[in-house]
Amino acid sequence: MPTVAELEQACKPTWCPGCGDFQMWKALKQAIENVGYTYERFAVVWGIGNAGNGADFLRCQGFHALHGRALPTATGIALTNPELKVIVEMGDGDGYGIGGNHFLHSCRRNVEMVGIFHNNQIYGLTTGQASPTSDQFMKTPSTPGGVIEEPVNPVGVAVAQGATFVARTFSGDVAYTQSIYEQALRHHGFAVVDVFQPCPTWNKNNTFKWYAERVYKLEDEPGYDPDSRVWAFEKSLSTFHDLTCAPDSCRLPVGVFYREEGVPTYQDRLPQLAQPMWRQARKPRDISRAMRALG
Amino acid sequence: MAQLGERGTPDISIRIGGPAGAGIKAAGQSLARTFMREGLWTMDLTEYPSLIRGGHNVITVRVGPKPFFSHAVDVDILIALDRLTVEKDGPSLVEGGAVVYDPASVEAATLPSHARGVPVQLDEIAKRNGGVIMRNTVAMAAALALLRFPLEPFESALHAQFDSKSAEVAEGNVRAAREGHAEAWKHADDFPLRLSPVPGAPERVLVDGNDAVCLGALAAGIGFYAAYPMTPASTLLHYMARHEGDGVVVKHVEDEIAAMNMVVGAAFTGARAMCATSGGGFSLMAEAFGLAGVTESAVVVGVFSRPGPATGMPTWTEQGDLQFVIHAAQGEFPRVVLAPGDRDDAFHLTWQAFNLADRLQTPVVLLGDSYLSDNRQSVLPFETARVTIDRGETITEGEVSDYLRYRDTPDGISPRAIPGVKGAEQLVNSYEHDEYGWGQEGERAEVRVQQDEKRMRKMELARTLAPAPVAFGPLEADVSIVSFGSTKGPIRDAMDELAAEGVSANFLQVVTCWPFPAREVSGFLAVAKRSLVVENNYTGQLEQLIRQECLMEPDDRLHRYDGRAFTYAQIAEKAREMVRRPARELTGVTR
Ligand SMILES: Cc1ncc(C[n+]2csc(CCOP(=O)(O)OP(=O)(O)O)c2C)c(N)n1
Ligand code: SF4
Repeated sequence: MPTVAELEQACKPTWCPGCGDFQMWKALKQAIENVGYTYERFAVVWGIGNAGNGADFLRCQGFHALHGRALPTATGIALTNPELKVIVEMGDGDGYGIGGNHFLHSCRRNVEMVGIFHNNQIYGLTTGQASPTSDQFMKTPSTPGGVIEEPVNPVGVAVAQGATFVARTFSGDVAYTQSIYEQALRHHGFAVVDVFQPCPTWNKNNTFKWYAERVYKLEDEPGYDPDSRVWAFEKSLSTFHDLTCAPDSCRLPVGVFYREEGVPTYQDRLPQLAQPMWRQARKPRDISRAMRALG
Repeated sequence: MAQLGERGTPDISIRIGGPAGAGIKAAGQSLARTFMREGLWTMDLTEYPSLIRGGHNVITVRVGPKPFFSHAVDVDILIALDRLTVEKDGPSLVEGGAVVYDPASVEAATLPSHARGVPVQLDEIAKRNGGVIMRNTVAMAAALALLRFPLEPFESALHAQFDSKSAEVAEGNVRAAREGHAEAWKHADDFPLRLSPVPGAPERVLVDGNDAVCLGALAAGIGFYAAYPMTPASTLLHYMARHEGDGVVVKHVEDEIAAMNMVVGAAFTGARAMCATSGGGFSLMAEAFGLAGVTESAVVVGVFSRPGPATGMPTWTEQGDLQFVIHAAQGEFPRVVLAPGDRDDAFHLTWQAFNLADRLQTPVVLLGDSYLSDNRQSVLPFETARVTIDRGETITEGEVSDYLRYRDTPDGISPRAIPGVKGAEQLVNSYEHDEYGWGQEGERAEVRVQQDEKRMRKMELARTLAPAPVAFGPLEADVSIVSFGSTKGPIRDAMDELAAEGVSANFLQVVTCWPFPAREVSGFLAVAKRSLVVENNYTGQLEQLIRQECLMEPDDRLHRYDGRAFTYAQIAEKAREMVRRPARELTGVTR
């Protein structure tokens, strides 16, 4: 079972100094060590973006997929090898923009895997354009007049669309992020973890300080009820705010919004997936019955 | 206009036409199955618009005691379930052909003058025995009577089809069939064509191209199939889904992008994985098709064309995607494109495609079209004893040390250890990468060159592994045809027709379209008296490949792009026309 040190590569991170991705990397390594997977029992899939660049830095059975397509690639892995826990690392443009359709369908599919979304509310790698989660009115090189649309509400979408574990965290709190990761890894079903990840280089609006002043832990709130889908959805709405909001009028909840245990996963409903599917190809399959049916 | 019985071959063609939703295709297929079980050879051609109701549907069943390779050209017996069929399909009848019609809905005066009418109370008989739904049963029995074909095989087919649902329905259908048979029998003396069972004929199966591909994939040990429905590939998804119990995970996904990316993920775990679609879906798959190339993933992709661009003509056929599949996705990477010409090819090339994908660790395309996908033919059961599984350098169990996923090797093949193997930490990467898989390192010029050359080297191995072209006919011939894919059937029938007239033709079927078999095609063209390239498209995409890869040009070309497949008659006519012209001088100079 690899330790944090063993999970590191000779290839060292290239993120900008102060990037929230460092904190997420740290939290993930610790969570994997704590849950105690052997190298043979987990796989990690990355999308494309600065979030995706983490692929070079984590020693594992990894797959650096296409921009927006990490979820389907991961689904293909999860649906052909029941012995692997699959972790998927995406950016917000990656996961909620270009890959939005896959996000929607992954939630309702409930394939057992963990989706981690590096939500910096900006396109990092392509130099700072607006992302689907950029706050309304935010000015970026692709939206000089300010973003017109409402941001995507990933937590709300995940809850509405049937994900069985939906959480949000702030990378600035590494220990908390790590504990959310561990719960997601232990969840039996599709786990969505949206992470506020400051991008000091391009997002001058949603900075570390900005998030730190606004986030609060859901479980500290009276009436905390992550078993209720309606409650979770309602909580997801409270994240909408505008650029000028004051910290006390703009509270951002983090924590587990929703959790439903005991729901059969997609894999659970596939009796043929009792073993890795490569085993089907050890010798030619007998098709005589199928052929006779056409006689 | 052809005369009844004038055709050189002893086969007969029966067309059923009527409104969409009237069960025309099912009726034609049960007629074909009846004939097949009685030892005859059959081939269907289904033609229908992209509508569920309201259009005009026809199925034409060609049947005969000797094997043939393509669909019927004209019609001997037309079963007209409505007036529109008489109007639209009447002209296809040969001189003296028969129209089975219901006098209650079609006036005798509207029948074509060159045909003979066979009035049968289709609706009345059907209603008497259980409902209008049995109309097709009555009509088919009537067609059998005209040919003096015994009714018993059809009766047992009806029992086989309906007994499990309800004995009453089965009995009703049998009674309806008997009445229809008796009514048409009265006219059989005037109708000269006869068809009899062939006792002791070998067992056969009735398959379309998609069935054949599915059987090939199942035999190859497929473990994962993902698709988004698109005609004519949708029935592959239906077939595979019915066979999940054989050990396949089958997923109808949100779009073709997901399908292709999932298949690449499935290949990562060592599963044999495939997706299939038509040209539109493959357009969406293009980026992930390239992903399979750079990540060196062993995947099989079925592309079954219909006329494009965009939505095009969903239910019709064309070979317009050859150059597209050869070039799809940005950048350069090795790929193999196989084009089955018939159902037997479709079966064998599919399992071979999985072996090629595993040996080469790169995507392999099966390129077909609606003509092959949709239409059923009676064939001998596929020779499953030929199926082998070759997973190449795939390590599925145990342990590896100093593992490098993209190790630079002389033939370009890096041993592939799948997740679960001890020591198989790796990074499969869509970015250019080094031997380990690191993207950062992949930007170094020398690493890029090493990995690019390593991948492209696999093309050399592909040339030695991929199936060679297949030659048909005499070594020397008046006309030499080069083609690929589903034109094979009409070409082979045309060759038989020409041979009967004393015109010799030979044919080189390009099976592997990429890497292009330039040596074999050049050799074939170099000695041809008159060469002809036949393709079901406008621009001559195969000919472009010949010019590019062989630096030669054929003497003539035959293209068709109206959404229909070539008929053998059309190809034979083109050959005759060429023979009337002087043969080119054999100068030995490549032209
Ligand atoms: C099909 C495709 N379109 C566009 C790109 C270019 N691209 C790479 S990363 C990216 C967006 C990055 O933003 P995000 O996903 O939020 O990740 P971040 O870099 O902020 O971590 C884009 C548009 C691409 N690689 N592929
Ligand atoms: S651009 Fe932003 S997200 Fe990307 S590495 Fe730099 S700080 Fe991090």
